[in-house]
Amino acid sequence: MTEENRELPGRWCMCKRDFGVAFWIAFLAACVGTFVIFALLDPEALNDAWVLPWEMGPRLAYSLGFLFLYLVSLFASGLTIFMVRTGPRRGHARGEGRRPPPEIREPEEENPDLDLGDLK
Amino acid sequence: MTENSRTGDSLYRKEPKIYPRQVKGRFARLRVIAVWVLLGLYYVLPWITIGGKQSVLFDLPARKFYIFGFTFWPQDFVYLTLLLITAGLSLFFFTALAGRLWCGYACPQTVWTETFIWIERLIEGDRAKRMKLDKAPWNGEKILRKVGKQAAWILFAAWTGFTFVGFFSPIRELGHSVMSLSLGPWETFWIIFYSVATYGNAGFLREQVCKYMCPYARFQSAMFDKDTLIISYDVNRGEPRGGRRKKDDKESLGLGDCINCTLCVQVCPTGIDIRDGLQYECIACAACIDVCDQVMDKMGYEPGLVRYTTEHALKHNEGHVIRPRIMVYGALLLAILLGTIWSMANRVPLRADLIRDRNALYRELPGDVIENVYTLKITNMDDAPHSYRLTAVDNPQVEIDLDRPLDLAAEEVAGIIVRLRLPRAAGKGVQNVELELESVDSPEIRREITAKAMLPLGIGGR
Repeated sequence: MTEENRELPGRWCMCKRDFGVAFWIAFLAACVGTFVIFALLDPEALNDAWVLPWEMGPRLAYSLGFLFLYLVSLFASGLTIFMVRTGPRRGHARGEGRRPPPEIREPEEENPDLDLGDLK
Repeated sequence: MTENSRTGDSLYRKEPKIYPRQVKGRFARLRVIAVWVLLGLYYVLPWITIGGKQSVLFDLPARKFYIFGFTFWPQDFVYLTLLLITAGLSLFFFTALAGRLWCGYACPQTVWTETFIWIERLIEGDRAKRMKLDKAPWNGEKILRKVGKQAAWILFAAWTGFTFVGFFSPIRELGHSVMSLSLGPWETFWIIFYSVATYGNAGFLREQVCKYMCPYARFQSAMFDKDTLIISYDVNRGEPRGGRRKKDDKESLGLGDCINCTLCVQVCPTGIDIRDGLQYECIACAACIDVCDQVMDKMGYEPGLVRYTTEHALKHNEGHVIRPRIMVYGALLLAILLGTIWSMANRVPLRADLIRDRNALYRELPGDVIENVYTLKITNMDDAPHSYRLTAVDNPQVEIDLDRPLDLAAEEVAGIIVRLRLPRAAGKGVQNVELELESVDSPEIRREITAKAMLPLGIGGR
């Protein structure tokens, strides 16, 4: 967490807000996903003895479906927050803030004897 | 704190387009070899046939994966898990050992970008020519070169998309479908999807993927330690940097070895300056090592101003690349690899599940015999037909009756009705009956199955 994040007004620090957003959005996404999937798919159809040797009741199927979607969404939203909170905007390897793009010049400019030859 | 730094985004500045300068040398050669091997495997493998089957084919509708003569079934899920664990561990191992080897040599983003840049260089010329061409007004030559490049890129991307789908749908038939314009809708969709992805990633996004989109780039620093081999600029030796003439005595000028030619920046595909220190944008392609070594050679200095080294080695002139972390990762990798090989070698190509008939507990037959009915789901995972025999282990009282002989074609799945008959005196309630399913022609293919047989409880004088 960088300094500027802590100074944003509010009762919660940025980190808490991030977690809140991740958990809540993932929950919403998982709810929608569960509705859609089980509107189209009969949980009885998941009972394939060839894959699962025991029978899974509809309640367990609904719950596992929801939890699975929740975990996947949580993974996606958590990673998304991590990716946008870290990265180039946060600056420099040595913690010096954002740096300008490196300077480029003609190699011979300061080194008149440098014969680039096959490097050209 | 200023208003700007609070919002962050207002500091945003568009960075100039990167025209990486071509580089030759040890590491460039290594990467060319990696590109040839990896893309060679990708484009050639689906055309090779092993044992009458495409060498690598993921047949999703049939739920079977054919890989180098092995057939994997959904039940072989454990191998997929092992593969993922191995991939994860390898990433830890190689990152701890020598940083982002994956990014520099093996990542599809790098490999395809290399190829696209190679095509670009072939049609538009080297770095200076490309920069000039982009600045020039549109004229006949510019149109010709730009259209030519785009056409070559699109063709190559389309071939890539076609090959990708060829891993999921037999590629020879797919080729015929393309030729006769009779592709199915999903095949068409996925060919276009993968082609567009290749074109976008390798033609347009390039280093932006590594800088902004790739999570590994952000995580990898957690896998580093002070003994990890990383590409570093030797600050002590290089600074103070500055231009000079070849005959100049650098000591009297108070200069280090860096002549500030900025070639290391010009060859960098992500446009960073390695002299700023380790940066997460560095994909460890080692182009800066190659070019700096050549410049040092031309100036008559020792090579290795930019080199693979460790933080420890740079600071204290000592390095221990082999360390407990490496040994633990290495040992784990080796153990999983050996375990996988052992389990593949001892894989029994037969699966059998006995499922009780749900409609009846048991049936009483004349002569105090109790009958239980099951469905035997049997899968011959071998690529040859087999006949099997089902017997009760050490239990002569059990009589087994099947509704059809246990002859299965190669890769056949069958459901067979099994009737187990036991004398009433064999027990009360649930009894475990050990059965053995064995191939008649090759006895090493066998499975043991436990059948749960129901017998009368004997309550109320029955």
